[in-house]
Amino acid sequence: MGEVIVITSGKGGVGKTTTTANIGTALALEGKKVVLLDADIGLRNLDVVLGLENRIVYDMVDAIEGVCRLKQALIRDKRFEGLYLMPAAQTRDKNAVTPDQMQKLCEELKDQFDYVLIDCPAGIEQGFKNAIAGADRAVVVTVPEVSAVRDADRIIGLLSANDLHSPQLIINRLRADMVKRGDMMDINDTIDILGIDLLGVVPDDEKIIVSSNRGEPAVTESSSLAGKAYRNIAKRIMGEDVPLLSLNEENTLMDRLRRFFSGKSNSSSI
Amino acid sequence: MADIPILIKGSKNGLNIYIDSRADISAIRQAYDKKLQAAKPFFSGTKVNLSFIGKEYSEEEQKELISTSERYMTLGEVRFFAEAPVSRDASRSTEQDQETSHPYEYFEDIDEGMTKFVKGTVRNGQRIYYDGNIVVLGDINPGGELVAGGNIFILGTIRGMAHAGATGNAKAVVVAFCLLPSQLRIAGKIAMAPEGGMEKPQYPEIAYIRDNQLIIEPYLPRKG
Repeated sequence: MGEVIVITSGKGGVGKTTTTANIGTALALEGKKVVLLDADIGLRNLDVVLGLENRIVYDMVDAIEGVCRLKQALIRDKRFEGLYLMPAAQTRDKNAVTPDQMQKLCEELKDQFDYVLIDCPAGIEQGFKNAIAGADRAVVVTVPEVSAVRDADRIIGLLSANDLHSPQLIINRLRADMVKRGDMMDINDTIDILGIDLLGVVPDDEKIIVSSNRGEPAVTESSSLAGKAYRNIAKRIMGEDVPLLSLNEENTLMDRLRRFFSGKSNSSSI
Repeated sequence: MADIPILIKGSKNGLNIYIDSRADISAIRQAYDKKLQAAKPFFSGTKVNLSFIGKEYSEEEQKELISTSERYMTLGEVRFFAEAPVSRDASRSTEQDQETSHPYEYFEDIDEGMTKFVKGTVRNGQRIYYDGNIVVLGDINPGGELVAGGNIFILGTIRGMAHAGATGNAKAVVVAFCLLPSQLRIAGKIAMAPEGGMEKPQYPEIAYIRDNQLIIEPYLPRKG
């Protein structure tokens, strides 16, 4: 019996889809059987980020309406063993499915997979309600900006009203240099307001944009710091205890020695 | 209300007894007797004013209710209101009298009164309203709102909005371990956070109205 995890944020453009694609791929690389469910009906993107757009024949709405069998709507990613995508319908809207139907779909997928990751649409309307209906736990993605944190807070309240208590937080696109200058909210500011457990912090990384456009998740690139952060998040989802990775790029031997001898850690870490 | 046709609530004038107008008198008397029985120790030693609200009674029935009450408490003033909030009894009395004796007067308790306890954080988009006092065991995040007829106590940080004395009580206060509201209201007064934000206070603070102005200061004088 697998686990259904919804990845949500409230605000759009904070990186829900990228996060879903990367965590899903990282879990598959860890040997898990994973299905990524795109709940953003009418504005699907997950297929593009994964580079599977051309292979869509049937979608989630087809499976729910019984136009096809469940298996026919699943696209197997040939690059990663155990990774599947169930795309959203593009020619329909959020009202095409109901929370009950989503719940039933999640139950069925749960039987066949270790993890069902749901990419939630932005907003708090029907699409959000559908996406969280079948979830066992929730991951809230935010960026260190006041408006995104406000929306994340709203979402946490709504999740808790729907019996998804204690969601976990991913802070995306953190810029160490800006935090250092005091121009960006730091991790503690964000957690202080939201008051939920931190699942991970993903640094701002240009490579993410490149890999999203190419349809190749960044976790596969060993040189990408964001990719490494996502790999760590996947391990934490699996229950491993992975420390936050160091954020400072100019982490020279001298820096480390200085910190070691001064006995305190003055570097921010993720 | 169907099972228990009676609801007893405290007000500053004594007890308000709300009665389901559909229930018959014997059921009411039975339920009333039971309620008083349960709360018997509570009434002893003080004079209690009673207001029966929600049903019209014959002379006979009124006497019955009074005699039931007398078995449990020393009665003060007893009044009957057919319906709330504008009752015939109240409208008959003089205007000044009406001001002070209306059963639905705004919540004015300062040292005691009904209190709602909110466990956990009030988040963006959540609004909590209560006629009496509100105590929050958690934070009020930006976009969260608290509206109370009485005082508001926050055992945490407030970054959202709080309105104490919302029904007109200018004696109400807002207290927080960390008072950083986006907006603070007491009765009809509104205070906004200064442009550019506030310094995070290092000690608990209280907000109240003095000389017609909303004032915030530490409530532990030594720590100020």
